[in-house]
Amino acid sequence: MTDHEWSELAAPYTLGALAPDERERFEAHLADCAACRAEVRALRDVAVLLADAAPAATPPPGLRDRVLREARQARPIRRARGPLVPWLAAAACIVIALGLGYGYVRERAASRQTSAALAAARDSIAARDSLVATLLSPDIGTAALAATGQAPAARLYWSPSRRRVVMAVFRLPPAPAGRTYQLWAIAQGKPVSLGVFNTAADGRVTAAMAVPPGLTFELSAVTEEPAGGSPQPTQQPFLVGKVTPAD
Amino acid sequence: MPQQQAGPRAPDRALVARLAVGDERALGELYDRHGTMAYSLALAVVRERADAEEVVADAFGQVWRNAASYDPGRGSVAGWLATITRSRALDLVRARGRRVRAIERAAQADNDGLAAPMGAAFDPPDRRIERGEARRLVARSLGELPEPQRRVIELAYFGGLSQTEIAAELHEPLGTVKTRIRAGLEKLRGSLAPLLSGGES
Repeated sequence: MTDHEWSELAAPYTLGALAPDERERFEAHLADCAACRAEVRALRDVAVLLADAAPAATPPPGLRDRVLREARQARPIRRARGPLVPWLAAAACIVIALGLGYGYVRERAASRQTSAALAAARDSIAARDSLVATLLSPDIGTAALAATGQAPAARLYWSPSRRRVVMAVFRLPPAPAGRTYQLWAIAQGKPVSLGVFNTAADGRVTAAMAVPPGLTFELSAVTEEPAGGSPQPTQQPFLVGKVTPAD
Repeated sequence: MPQQQAGPRAPDRALVARLAVGDERALGELYDRHGTMAYSLALAVVRERADAEEVVADAFGQVWRNAASYDPGRGSVAGWLATITRSRALDLVRARGRRVRAIERAAQADNDGLAAPMGAAFDPPDRRIERGEARRLVARSLGELPEPQRRVIELAYFGGLSQTEIAAELHEPLGTVKTRIRAGLEKLRGSLAPLLSGGES
């Protein structure tokens, strides 16, 4: 696709009118195209306003109590620390959510457990939305991580205001059993772990990770580590990149 | 991002901060401010009152559970709630396999359709002052689009249809639908500019 053809997808994307495979391809493209990200940011605000075009209706009097009653059954979730659900896992959760949705609707008096599972699946979708949202931050900085040899590559997007990074990795085979990849922020020469990740069979992954408060860094790097990650890198990084602030 | 109110009250973001620490009264206040918007939106999508109530309860539940991860950089609290509400409403319609019916009715509504500026008349008085103007501008802007453009945008936003599905529904070429969606949204971007520029609470 040409750049122009990509940018034409911004409008249907913000309206949710792309087919699932088109949407995925466009989101992958967003990770690599500042112009499309800017277009999506602008049109997204327009699309959200459409909520106000719904004909005004008065909610029934009992609805307020119901909202409060149902909330009482679920505690707020504390903000997740550490790595968030990888993109592909989140996509799987969407399928789960839809599947559960059917059951949920068919048996209205569904058990509390089902509702809780459904809620968890929905929250995973929210995490995925947050990943895209980070990519769309105006203050996003980027780092292209090049391999010391050839093949794999990664792009890192860092939003200081949200204290989040999103990384998109390409052409990196999944880590062997018992091993994982780990992303490091290098601040004044000292590596700080941002989280662990693995790639899918096609060698790609897009993952969002939290950046510890107050941490600024000039380099980022990827190493292969034992499953679960290491407190400090145990080997030389095979991907290293310098952070360039803002688009 | 449905507009928020000016005024002496605590900003929505302060309410969300209270939600994040489990303050139920903040949830009640958020409902008082935006419950009508959420219910109206839900009803426009699901078209059955009982379903709309379920959607609103679900949406506020999600806001309640995820308040700690609310990110002001993504837009207003009202916009966040609207996005969640629309998404829950579309889930419900899809799960019930009822999308086709909803579309048929949307098509029937056609000329006086969703864009009809019913606006403030049914809102409680306090909301009328706060939101009425923004609502009217959005409804008028949508209503002023050429009918074919308005139609495809409504089918996408309220009907949850993809471009391909819209083309099939309207028996129009896919390329035509794509062009209308882009042109319509671009026009709205121009006419809604007054609501897009300002910062919010």
